[in-house]
Amino acid sequence: MHPDSCRYTKEHEWVCSESGDVYTVGITAYAAEQLGDVTYVEVPQPGKKAKQGDAVGSVESVKAASDVYAPVGGMVYEVNEALEAMPELVNQDPFGEGWFFKLENVKTSEFNALMDVKAYEAYLATLEH
Amino acid sequence: MRQTPLHGEHLALGGKVVDFHGWALPVQFEGILQEHAHTRTQAALFDCSHMGEFTVCGADAIERYEKLLITDVKTVKVGRGKYGAFLNDDGGIIDDVITMRLAEDDLYIVTNAGALDEVSASITHNNPGARDISDETAKIDIQGPMARDILIQAGVTDAAKLKYYEAMRSSWKGTPIVLSRTGYTGELGFELFMPNEIAVDMWRDLLGRTPVKPAGLGARDTLRTEIGMGLSGQDFDTSRTPLEARMGPFIAWNKEFRGKAALARKRDTGGFPVLTGIRTFDRRSPRHAFEVKHNGAVVGVVSSGTFGPSMGYGIGLAYVPQNLAAPGTKLTAGPKDLDIETVELPFYKDGTCRR
Repeated sequence: MHPDSCRYTKEHEWVCSESGDVYTVGITAYAAEQLGDVTYVEVPQPGKKAKQGDAVGSVESVKAASDVYAPVGGMVYEVNEALEAMPELVNQDPFGEGWFFKLENVKTSEFNALMDVKAYEAYLATLEH
Repeated sequence: MRQTPLHGEHLALGGKVVDFHGWALPVQFEGILQEHAHTRTQAALFDCSHMGEFTVCGADAIERYEKLLITDVKTVKVGRGKYGAFLNDDGGIIDDVITMRLAEDDLYIVTNAGALDEVSASITHNNPGARDISDETAKIDIQGPMARDILIQAGVTDAAKLKYYEAMRSSWKGTPIVLSRTGYTGELGFELFMPNEIAVDMWRDLLGRTPVKPAGLGARDTLRTEIGMGLSGQDFDTSRTPLEARMGPFIAWNKEFRGKAALARKRDTGGFPVLTGIRTFDRRSPRHAFEVKHNGAVVGVVSSGTFGPSMGYGIGLAYVPQNLAAPGTKLTAGPKDLDIETVELPFYKDGTCRR
């Protein structure tokens, strides 16, 4: 279920290396499932510079709201404008059409230090009770 | 967590179970937005077996019970229900309640789960005619424009007789039930009170009838917020009086009731905030406990907030000073200072509940 070329955070963001220097960020299926029906997504302005861990957006569902953090530092290169009218894409396709934003100028060391798919799935297992 | 008689049904249907005042209850099945829309347009089932039920029988018992309630019971006609609340000595709201008169000397009372121990103790204290039947009683709500047709198909033909806020003793397949045309959604709907033993059969029977689907606490919350109904324990509790919580019209000042003296002092002193509808101007939502500001100064607090699926924007209930409660007042809410405006309740005005 989780793309295995991507990296993951404990805050349930995913970040995938695209072509060249570009990295795409979204929230995981687990996060989307926990939130329930997503009703609003706030994405950062293109051009914004973010350090790893900065709150750069937010996501709201019927029941809850939470911040979205930059999983790696970089500059916002592009945002998913479709989410403004169709926030439900986050539930329908969290690893695809429901992506949030793309970063460039990313340090590969920050990316490589995040959880890989095995580590993330092991982390999810610790959250089940 | 306590389980209702329908717990196994919820798990089998894929319900996402959460802790609600110590009860394991489904927050959603397919999804809150889908369940919300289904209730507004078709018919949905809600398991409300966690709620409290009481019977109060006999003239003396009814008179004692009436002293707990801010509302008059004497004027409630046979076959009618009435909304009200129980207060503590300080005038704070312990719980809200619906009191139904099923016969001249036969009251049927519905309360919430959150304060049930305290409510039960006060209703049954020194009143042998009052009985707490919560443990033996299951409650299924069927809500939505199709609700009446579905109940008639299922053999509860009494559903055809009831107008909004009417109630009666009825039966289903030979088992006595109580049927009321009430609800928490704004739609045409009924609440069915039955012995635990038949709850699963009733649930399966109703759910087997197209287009009935199950719905959870999440949709219940969005539906009730859209019609401006408060939730006991969230929008009001013992820190709020009925004057603040939009229950003013229900207060029977011409009779005695617990908390009346403190309430009258509050009324005479004035200056209390009032529960008011608020909305945002986009898809962002106000949330419970958000501070409300006016010109940058904190003036109030949000008690309920959610996305309003039928509205398409964020809605909520907030306590604000009376001079800022007039519809159209510009305020902000929460750490990000969301732009909000006070609005007249209900938000959603097209409900079918009186149809």
